[in-house]
Amino acid sequence: MLLKRICWVIVLAITATISLTAAPNVEEGKNLFIANCAACHNKNMKDNLTGPALGGMEERWSAYPRKDLYAWIRNSQALIATGHPYANELWGKWKPVLMNNFTGLTDDQIEGIILYVNQEYNKKPGGAGGTTPTDVATTEKKSGTPWLFVGLAVILGLLAFALMRIINNLANITRVQAGQAPVQKTLVQTLTSKGAIAFLVFALTLIFGYKTVDNATNMGRQQNYQPDQPIAFSHKIHAGVNKIDCQYCHDSARRSKHSSIPGTNTCMNCHAAVKKGTITGTSEITKIFASIGFDPIQSKYIADYEYWSEKQIEDLYKKWIGQEYMAANNLTSMDENGRMTVANQWEGIVKALKNDSNGKIQGPIEWVRIHNLPDHAYFNHSQHVAVGQVACQKCHGPVEQMEVVYQYSTLGMGWCINCHRETEVKFKDNPYYDQYERYHNELKDGTREKVTVEDIGGLECQKCHY
Amino acid sequence: MHHDNGIWVSTEDLMRDESFLQAAEKEFSVENLDQTDGKWETNRRDFLKLLGFGLGAATVAASCEIPVKKAIPYVSKPDEIVPGVANYFASSFVNGGDYCAVLVKTREGRPIKIEGNTLSSVTKGGTSARAQASVLSLYDTRRIQHPGAVKEGNVNKMEWNALDREVKSKLSAGGNIRLITQTIISPTAKKALAEFTTKYPTARVVTYDPVSSAALLAANEQSFGARVIPNFKFGEADVIVSFGADFLGTWISPVEYAREYAKNRKIRGAKGAKMSRHYQVESHMSLTGSNADNRILIKPSETGAAIVALYNELTGNSGGPKLSNEKSAAAIKKMAQDLANHKGKSLVVSGSNNVMEQLYVNEINRMLGNLNTTIDFNAVSYQRQGDEREMMRLIDEMNAGQVSVAIVWGANPAWDLPNAAKFKEAFAKVGTRISFNGIIDETTAECTHSAPAHHILESWGDAEPKAGHLSLIQPTIAPLFKTRQAEHTLLEWADSPNLNRQDEQPYYQYLKSHWTSDLFSRQTKYSTAAAFWDMSLHDGVLEFPATEVGAVMNEVSLNPDAVTKPSGSELEISFYETVNIGGGQYAHNPWLQEMPDPVTRTVWGNYLSIPVEWDGVNEINGWKGLNDGDNVEVEINGQKLACTVVRTFGQPAGTVAIALGGGRESGGCGVGYGVYVNPVLPVEGGLIQYFAGNVKVSDKVGADKHFPSVQFHHTMGVQAMGKDEGKVINVDEKTLGWKGFQGALTDRSIIFHTHVNELPKFAEKMEAFHEEAEHLNVQTLYPDRTDFFGTGVKWGMYVDMNACVGCGACQVACVSENNVPVVGKKEVHRHHEMTWLRIDRYFYGDFENPKVVYQPMMCQHCDNAPCENVCPVNATNHSMEGINQMAYNRCIGTRYCANNCPYKVRRFNWLDYTTADVWPANEEKVFRLEGDDKPFLADNLVRMVLNPDVTVRTRGVIEKCTFCIQRIQEGKLTAKREGRAIMDNDVRTACQTACPTGAIVFGNLNNPDSEVSKLTKANAPIAYKVLEEINVRPGVSYSAKVNNSNEELYS
Repeated sequence: MLLKRICWVIVLAITATISLTAAPNVEEGKNLFIANCAACHNKNMKDNLTGPALGGMEERWSAYPRKDLYAWIRNSQALIATGHPYANELWGKWKPVLMNNFTGLTDDQIEGIILYVNQEYNKKPGGAGGTTPTDVATTEKKSGTPWLFVGLAVILGLLAFALMRIINNLANITRVQAGQAPVQKTLVQTLTSKGAIAFLVFALTLIFGYKTVDNATNMGRQQNYQPDQPIAFSHKIHAGVNKIDCQYCHDSARRSKHSSIPGTNTCMNCHAAVKKGTITGTSEITKIFASIGFDPIQSKYIADYEYWSEKQIEDLYKKWIGQEYMAANNLTSMDENGRMTVANQWEGIVKALKNDSNGKIQGPIEWVRIHNLPDHAYFNHSQHVAVGQVACQKCHGPVEQMEVVYQYSTLGMGWCINCHRETEVKFKDNPYYDQYERYHNELKDGTREKVTVEDIGGLECQKCHY
Repeated sequence: MHHDNGIWVSTEDLMRDESFLQAAEKEFSVENLDQTDGKWETNRRDFLKLLGFGLGAATVAASCEIPVKKAIPYVSKPDEIVPGVANYFASSFVNGGDYCAVLVKTREGRPIKIEGNTLSSVTKGGTSARAQASVLSLYDTRRIQHPGAVKEGNVNKMEWNALDREVKSKLSAGGNIRLITQTIISPTAKKALAEFTTKYPTARVVTYDPVSSAALLAANEQSFGARVIPNFKFGEADVIVSFGADFLGTWISPVEYAREYAKNRKIRGAKGAKMSRHYQVESHMSLTGSNADNRILIKPSETGAAIVALYNELTGNSGGPKLSNEKSAAAIKKMAQDLANHKGKSLVVSGSNNVMEQLYVNEINRMLGNLNTTIDFNAVSYQRQGDEREMMRLIDEMNAGQVSVAIVWGANPAWDLPNAAKFKEAFAKVGTRISFNGIIDETTAECTHSAPAHHILESWGDAEPKAGHLSLIQPTIAPLFKTRQAEHTLLEWADSPNLNRQDEQPYYQYLKSHWTSDLFSRQTKYSTAAAFWDMSLHDGVLEFPATEVGAVMNEVSLNPDAVTKPSGSELEISFYETVNIGGGQYAHNPWLQEMPDPVTRTVWGNYLSIPVEWDGVNEINGWKGLNDGDNVEVEINGQKLACTVVRTFGQPAGTVAIALGGGRESGGCGVGYGVYVNPVLPVEGGLIQYFAGNVKVSDKVGADKHFPSVQFHHTMGVQAMGKDEGKVINVDEKTLGWKGFQGALTDRSIIFHTHVNELPKFAEKMEAFHEEAEHLNVQTLYPDRTDFFGTGVKWGMYVDMNACVGCGACQVACVSENNVPVVGKKEVHRHHEMTWLRIDRYFYGDFENPKVVYQPMMCQHCDNAPCENVCPVNATNHSMEGINQMAYNRCIGTRYCANNCPYKVRRFNWLDYTTADVWPANEEKVFRLEGDDKPFLADNLVRMVLNPDVTVRTRGVIEKCTFCIQRIQEGKLTAKREGRAIMDNDVRTACQTACPTGAIVFGNLNNPDSEVSKLTKANAPIAYKVLEEINVRPGVSYSAKVNNSNEELYS
């Protein structure tokens, strides 16, 4: 007991020392980069994305004191406002794209990021290229395992063969000693012997059974499911670049079991002003207008939109798309390319909004549902988001980096259960859990390290099935 | 003959009949399936075939693509809707005079459940089975979907404006106009009616009730000068006498009365316990009678004689008709003494429909000093207003050709009047006949036009059940069909200038303006009309302080010869309204049809109650040797009825009884079930009488092969003579006792009962019982799990059998909350009813005049559950919160658990009742409405009633009460989110909230301050666990039944 405690103290002390003496560190830099920068800056550090490629930034900033670079990263607009020449040069090149502020980063952390950027930038092309180290690890794991088994199987097979030969020879020796003629089985005879056939049947049954169970388990699972959506909505731009809180749109996640898809009116909170996308222009955002009945030209909602004919709708939005096309290309009249753009975008609107269940443009946008829980399972977002304070990314993955959303987790029962086994309950901060007196006492007298979801019944059937 | 523990459920039980063994064996026998499945046998080859097919199917299924699912958000999401979170709207359930202040639970804009509104001082949060079931009638596939002309029982579609034009031209043609309605308790509807009658001076409103209280109203008009029902305060009375008034089940305002009544019946601790005494003078055992401390049995035609006898005893007068049963006559004398000893603290009511009898009752109450104490006029009830004599006059008018337009609103005279045939004949002579009724009932089928009104859950409206107690009705869903508010239709036809036709909901504006103008000025709480309206709508109720009205009684001359004369015939019949389908107006609701009648325990129809006969020694038989399910022919005053009998304890010799409401002829699921008895109801002086003399019952002429009585289903502790054992055994333990492995426990603790005066002694006995049980229980190999349940929440329930009146609201609430399927008559006959909560009815006391205990029985959530350790796949197991969990997706349907459950509360899905399954062949034998090609629950309209928080179970799995786990989850989450300890109000089960008397209490047993802990503790030692001695450690406690009978009544 005492030993265990001493060990803990040592471990804690070491951790503390490490965190106190934090020096620029590539690993930390990498994590910071992924968390803060990767949404806009390309991971290969060579190509531009929403923001410029970061490779070689040290050289570009070498003419100025290092602290200018820090200031730029922490708050670019402030530096621009001071009239910093290079800052203004960059702004001139990239405006109106704003860089987010990262006032919380320490100098060491920034140095860490720079170290990581340089490391990636200097990597030889063709190497691990675009994949992150974690990806490599998983691929290796996936491809490595079967080969190991194949090798083992071959060795075992050879061993079995050798043993069989030995047994055969020994049997023949006894036969010869007993004065009988030795039996020499041909390969065909060996392979068609009872034992071999029995083994084969056994092996096939085993494989078949395993595959059946395995397939049955995976039936209905859709990990990595990434369907096309009616609107090319980018979580990367909304959640990543613009840092819109997940629950701004998925507001019911904290109140309800569903984290429902926001209504069109929620989109309009911003898109009444943001009428064109940075990348897609009018082609996607116009779909929102067509769903709810917003006239982007006059910036107002159409009162009797419900009763509009398709022709009326078509005229309005084609006009809008055309007008914006001409403005963007500084045209005074429509060109051939423009006419095509208008026709294509209108076609896109029709395709996105008109469908079997709703034979008209007006009305809700039918998204393709990606996350489907298995049948007869109860799941409550609010329990996890509001009470458990689990980050959305824990289950949904790095949505803020997803151009098109895919299902990150298996959503299988084993996956749920595992998390419930490991996750610690926010026990001390919520008076609700005061009723678990025994656990509180155990925590106090040190007989219990932590209280997991499992400990308060998180693995019980009727927590999820009723 | 003496019964071991003085409790029985039926004659078979009393006589330890073999048929009980058979019934118990039937519960899960395959033999039972053979009745309809001829080809049920499976041999090895079939098994292999199926196996092969199964594998193949699985392979094919595995290679299939997963269907693309859509997620469709709102375009403009309403602020108040959060998908997945229920909204509650305060409203009222009103049908004629039936009233309940309710909260309607809606999910994503769709009503799915009715809860009581605790703000109402009339119903105080209680509900009735009828109110609970009203949500299902919203999704009735038989509803009329548009206005139109009625031709041969069909409504040929018309547009509203076309109909309006046509009707208006007829209305303004100048002939007499008659509106036929049930009681209307809505002040605003009355205002609309007044506008209509002002516009058309030839119009007159004729009101009658499906089950009449006209005599009561007429007598009150004579006695008190007001044609109303006074405020009966059952909670203030120490002695209650009811002459056939079923005030706990059906009479006037049962939800209100039941709560008041139970107040004086609940026992808190054995010391100094007091309770009211309740005498019921009646023939057929009504729900109220079954709760009485003493029943005085009379023939139905002798109600008047009994009332006069009481009056004579109190005044020393003599004269009037005499009671034929001397025992009863003597009992009434003693009852009179008891009443006289409780002057000012007693209450006498009568359900009779004879004016003189009601005048006598008023006089008795006056003499007893009950006026202004237990009966006052401070808040009179408007819940009955009808007078069938008006209808009789209307029939004459129509026959004389004096009526040119008749409008039927809510009433169904072509069916529920005794002279319905005459009515139809006369009605046909009216040129334009319009019905507002929502289904094509018998009257609508006789009409020329149908102008269907909204369902109550789609309507705006208000109600004033009692003076000064108002409540609002608000729509909880947009109208499903092209129906229109009835009041709107009337105002439209009256060309009302007060109806703003441009508005989206014109009647809403009309209602609002009535409230904000007329009612706003009467109150002082809110200073602006807007706030007044918003808050009234939010609360659902608006109550004005009672104004003291000192009741003064007029001098009325009483004439003992004007009461009903006893018929003197050998056999009499009484007709009664049931708790579930009423007088037939609720017959088209499958939930109510499948709710067992509390006393006879039959479903889907009305059955002839016959007395049981005791030979004084060993034999108890049905009268005339008849058995349950036998068909007989009943001749009443020359008219014949084909009935099925059910033997009923407490039915006096020389009487039989049958419920009203059976044998509906048109309009919905009630068609084809039961006997249509209304045509035989006698009419005396224009008033319908609910009994008849001169009755003949034939011998057995056949049998109902699907007789659906739940009496013998899921029994526990019932004893019978074991054929193999040669001794008395417990029928449920037949398997155990079979080879003599274990001696069956024949004296099991299911019901305990005592007299209130015996309580201290009884408490000692109970103490000893608990000790003995605990002693038995500790002799176990099972580990002690106190520690396991000791931390966090431990859910438990307390059921007060003294407060439970058996009304069945909880049962329907449970069905509604938990998606329990409707299985239909044939399936109930096969013991396949699916109700998670049943109300067991036990008799005790005198065989000929027994007392009754109702025991709501649901899963007991045993901590040492016998069901759990027999499940081969661990589909049922225990949670650390003390809940016996059932995982449907794990269940493989071995039914071992149900077999091993001592309480018989597990239900098996024999068929695909909910059509949750993908194989259409499974739906073949599932219940469907007459004429439908798909099963009842396969219709998308009906499925809208399903609770999205509860799994819809498929064929082949076991299900049972979950303690409303979905509500527990929700309550816990709310507490967690708000960062506070869980409280009693966070989790209330569906049965608990539905109960009008507060008999069911649910909560956290680990919290000593929770209501359930306090009650269980306060009521120790008379609180007990059912089968406490078998160490299953149930989570539900019951209180012993305590009565306050007058022991000297029959001595």
